[in-house]
Amino acid sequence: MKSKMFKLLFIALLITVVKANEKGTLDVLKLQKELYKLKKSIDKVESELEGNAKSGFQLAGYTSFDWADIQKNDNEFSAVKFAPIFHAQYGDLFQFEGEVEFSTKEDGETAAELEYAAGTLFINDYMGLQIGKFMSPLGQFVQNLHPSWINKLPSTPVGFGHDGAAPTSNIGMGLRGGLPKVKGIRSNYATFVSNAPTFGTASDGDVVIDASGKTSSGDISKTWGGRFAINPMGGMEIGFSSALGKVSETLTAITNVGAAVGDKIARDYDIFGTDFMFNSNSFDLKAEYIRQTIGESQFSTIEGGIWKAWYAQVSYQLFASNFEPVLRYSDYHNPEAKRNQWAAGLNYLFSNNLIAKVAYEYNSNEDKAAVNSSINDNRVLVQLAFGF
Amino acid sequence: MKKILKLIGLTLLLSLSTSAMAKNVVKVDLANGASVWADTCMRCHNLRKPEDFNKRAWKYSMNHMRVRAGLTGQETRDVLAFILSTKTAEDAK
Repeated sequence: MKSKMFKLLFIALLITVVKANEKGTLDVLKLQKELYKLKKSIDKVESELEGNAKSGFQLAGYTSFDWADIQKNDNEFSAVKFAPIFHAQYGDLFQFEGEVEFSTKEDGETAAELEYAAGTLFINDYMGLQIGKFMSPLGQFVQNLHPSWINKLPSTPVGFGHDGAAPTSNIGMGLRGGLPKVKGIRSNYATFVSNAPTFGTASDGDVVIDASGKTSSGDISKTWGGRFAINPMGGMEIGFSSALGKVSETLTAITNVGAAVGDKIARDYDIFGTDFMFNSNSFDLKAEYIRQTIGESQFSTIEGGIWKAWYAQVSYQLFASNFEPVLRYSDYHNPEAKRNQWAAGLNYLFSNNLIAKVAYEYNSNEDKAAVNSSINDNRVLVQLAFGF
Repeated sequence: MKKILKLIGLTLLLSLSTSAMAKNVVKVDLANGASVWADTCMRCHNLRKPEDFNKRAWKYSMNHMRVRAGLTGQETRDVLAFILSTKTAEDAK
């Protein structure tokens, strides 16, 4: 009798447990369904918020405010720069990016320059076709490090500004992208064909290679070039750049060979560069060498030669603080001048994109008669830079 | 010049076909994204934190960086997925 009762009790218990499990399973399934519904409605709201469109745009950019105390000159609020960057894209197929740099000149007028405006058609995972005006992919400072919130000093290295040794931009087209890893090593490339730069005497009397993008290259052949870079280890990149073509020169004076003033001539032109970047935790090292060579011409009174510049920069964000000391040496040689510069600075990072910088530049020139002497004065520079 | 155009056309055609074949396969590798993010971004500039931008802005920024930093399409997707996965509920928008 007792055992029968135990059996009945056990069966009743079993039925209760099974029923409870069934109910639990049903509850879980119900909960999963509710979660799925919730996720769907969140996705819908998100899509609506983002317009759920393939086309869209973003406004980014940077701004900076400078103060300078230049030897032999008064101290002054020396520069204000505002550089909005516009990104627009169509799905993952096409992207447009454009930057206009606004700055205030000494006389209060506003200078505006289209730094770049280029579209990239992503052909596949390893290749994009870029067309338009783009920053010169040769080297790394001009293309990637010039924005004031990225540049760790308030100034550019000598020879890496406009009309220096490093080309600034191109108008043309090119193929670029990242390559599949080979034995764990990443690499990337950029190739281009663009209108030829011009060569001649600037308004201040300096002989310059104007290697900023132009919409005309006359009858001069195009410039062909590119950069290949490898990443042998995390945080390190080694790049090699080269380009070949002609420069266009409009004759302002003539030799005795039969050309006339105003004639356009072509002169041989080539570029070679190499660059190195390494970053580990708070330690950062950057170095770059770039060289542009202009061939001789029997028609011109301006001699050809080599425009070359290099720099090395080291910085370290002090442990557990927002302070970052920076030291840079840069050197620029052209057929008329030899300049070099030491720059030492201290940055305070309010955040990674809001940076206050103080620096001292020691400039020296081995050929003082050849260039505007004011650029060789030593100076204290202060800058507040913000990237957004 | 015609030869150059032909070559570019051929490259485009080949690449588009490769692209079309691989189009349906979209996978992300968060670990690779974290690694590429740490190694590549900091080479040029200070790291931007996930909360610095909203999801949409990150998409545009990553396409921009794909061009500038020479990332592959897969690396771009991995980094974007990693960044978005680390965004907290408060800054998820």
